[in-house]
Amino acid sequence: MKTWTIVKHVLLRIGQDPRTLILIVLTPLLFILLYGYSFSSGRPTHLRIAVSNADNGLASIRTAEVGRITLTLSLGTKLVQSLDKELFDVVLTQEPDRIQNDVKSGKYWAGLVLPQNFSHALANEALRERGPQKITHQGRSVELLPPETSEGPLATLYLDDSNPVVTASVALSLNETLTRLVAEQQATPTLTNPIEVHALYGGKVSGLDYTAPGVIGFAMTLITIMLTVISIVRERTSGTLTRTLIAPVRPWEVSLGYTLAFALISLLQVGELFLVSHYLFHIRFAGSPFLVALIVFVYAIGLQGIATLLSTVARNEFQAMQFILVLLIPSIMISGVFWPIDAMPPNIRLLSWFSPLTYANAGLREVMLRGRGISGVTLELGVLAGFALLMLLLGVRSMRRQGYSA
Amino acid sequence: MMEEEEVVHAQGIKKSFKGRVALAGLDLSVRQGQLYGLVGPNGAGKTTLIRILCGLLRPNAGEAVVLGWRVPNFRIRSQIGYMPQEVALYPDLTVMRNLAFFAELYDLPREQLEERAKELLELVDLSDRRSQKVGTLSGGMQRRVSLAVSLLHKPRLLFLDEPSVGVDPRLRRSLWEHFSLLATHDVALVVTTHLLEEASRCHVVGFLNQGRLFAEGSPEELLKRTQATSLDEAFTRLEEQSKVTA
Repeated sequence: MKTWTIVKHVLLRIGQDPRTLILIVLTPLLFILLYGYSFSSGRPTHLRIAVSNADNGLASIRTAEVGRITLTLSLGTKLVQSLDKELFDVVLTQEPDRIQNDVKSGKYWAGLVLPQNFSHALANEALRERGPQKITHQGRSVELLPPETSEGPLATLYLDDSNPVVTASVALSLNETLTRLVAEQQATPTLTNPIEVHALYGGKVSGLDYTAPGVIGFAMTLITIMLTVISIVRERTSGTLTRTLIAPVRPWEVSLGYTLAFALISLLQVGELFLVSHYLFHIRFAGSPFLVALIVFVYAIGLQGIATLLSTVARNEFQAMQFILVLLIPSIMISGVFWPIDAMPPNIRLLSWFSPLTYANAGLREVMLRGRGISGVTLELGVLAGFALLMLLLGVRSMRRQGYSA
Repeated sequence: MMEEEEVVHAQGIKKSFKGRVALAGLDLSVRQGQLYGLVGPNGAGKTTLIRILCGLLRPNAGEAVVLGWRVPNFRIRSQIGYMPQEVALYPDLTVMRNLAFFAELYDLPREQLEERAKELLELVDLSDRRSQKVGTLSGGMQRRVSLAVSLLHKPRLLFLDEPSVGVDPRLRRSLWEHFSLLATHDVALVVTTHLLEEASRCHVVGFLNQGRLFAEGSPEELLKRTQATSLDEAFTRLEEQSKVTA
C-alpha cells in the first residue's frame, strides 16, 4: 500500500523544513497563550473606579433603653478598604461632583459617591432589614431599633454600562462587599444562603474551563485546514500532484496518505494545546486523555476531508484562504464554542447541528469538564466518525478529479 | 521489416474546456521504438493530448488505446513515464529525496534506487548535485532532474512535454541523443516541442494546430512533400494547404 509512502513523504517534508515546522509548533502555542492570558480569570480585572468618601463614620441609632446613641462605625472607610483589589483599581477623589462626568468621559468604569451620612444610613437600613439587634454598648446591653423612616439611598454609583460584563461584575462585587461589611458588624447575624447549591462537578469549572475545549477545537480546525489546503493546492499548482497521480498509485491511497499524515500533525498540535492549557492555565481535565485524543483524531480526519475538498475548489492559495474564512468563521460562531447552543435562536440552533465543530466541542466538554467515559460521548463520536467517513469518500473523489483535471 | 507493435492508438479524440476546443477529433498512432515529435505553436493542443494519453484527462469523444488498454487505465501506469511542462518536483527536498519518493511510488526496490539514481544523474549531468535541494538549482537543472524522475522506472512509453525548455544547447543535444538511444531500446517516446530543429531528430513528426493533426510523416518526407528547405517552412506550407482544403 502506497499510503505509507505518502504519509512518510509528507512528514519527512515537513520535518526537514524548519519554517513549516516552527509554524506548526508555534501557531498553536501562540493561540493558546494569548487565549489563556487574555481570558484567564473569565472576568474583568483592574477596572478603574473612582471613589469619593465623605462619610463621617458616625451612625445615630434608636435604642429601646437609652434613646438615641451614636456609634462610630466608619463603614465608608471599611468599604473602600474591602473593595476587591483584583477587580478594581481604586482612585480616591475629593471631588464627588466630577465623578459623573469622569465616568461619562471614559476615565473610569464606575464612580462611587459615599455621602457624609453613609455609615448612619447603612447601619439603619441594615437594622430595618433585619429587625432589632442586641449589642453591648459602653458596658451595658442595649437593643438597637430600626429607624422609623427610610434613610433614602445609601450611596450613588455611576456606572459605565456600555459593557455588560463590566456592569455585572461591578454591581455584583459592590453588593457582595456591602453585604459582607454589614454582616461583619457587631452582633448582626449573617443571612444564610437561602438556596443550597450542590455543585455536581466540584464547583470548580471556570469560564476558561468551559470555553477551552471549544477554543482548542477551533484552533485545531483553523490550523489543520489551512495547513492541508495550502499543502495540497501547492502540490497541485507545482505539478507534483499530477506526477504522483500518474504513478501506479490509487487516488484513495494518496488521499488517505495525506489525511493520515496531517491528522497526525493535528493530533500533535492538539496535544500541545492541551498540555499548555492544562499545565499553564490549569484547565480542567477530568476525563481520559485517550478519549480526548480519539475525539480529536476522528475530528481531524473529517477536517482533512474538508480540506481536500476545499483544495479542489480553490484555484490557488489566495482563493483557498477566502474559502477557509467563509466556511470556518460561521461554523465557529454557531458551534457553541463561546456561548451555549441552548442560548441561540431555534433556527440557528438547527444550523449548528450541521457543524462538525459542534460535536467535537460537545464531546471534548463532556470528557474534559464532566469526566465522561466513552459511553457518554457515543453520539458525538458517532457523528464525527460518520462525518469523517463521508469526507474521506468525498476527498478521494475530489483527489481523483484533481488528477484528471490538473 | 516487421511492423512494430502499436503503443498508442488514438481515434477521433475531442476535448474542449468550457466551450474552448482543445482537440477537434484527432487520430494518432505511435509504434514501439518510435521517437514521435508533436510539433505546434502554444495552445495547439499538445499538452491536452499528452494528458489524455497518460490518463490524466478524459476525452469528450473518441478513444485512445495505450499499451493495449483503453485509457484512462491503472494498468499502464507503471509502464508510462511523463515529464510535465512544469518542473513538478519538491523544491524543499534534495535531488536524491525527490528521486527516492517517486521511486517508491513506482515500487523500485531500495537497493536498485542507488544504482538507478547514479545512472540517471550521470545522464542529466547532475551527479554532483544529488544532495542539493531542488529549489536551489537553476531552472535548467531542475528540468533535468524532472527528466531523471520520469525515467526512473524505465517506462516503455515516455511522454515528454517540452523537455528542452530552459536547457542549454550542449545538454539539449545530449538529451536528444539519449532519446534516440532509448528508442533503439524499444522505448516509444512522444515529445512535444515548438522548436522545429528538434523535430528533425524525430522518426515521425506530427504537425498540430487548433486541435488537429494536419500533417504527419518523417522529417525527410515532410520536406520532400512541401519542397521546403526547413521544417519551419514545411510547417507553414502544410498549415496553409490544410486551411485551403478545410
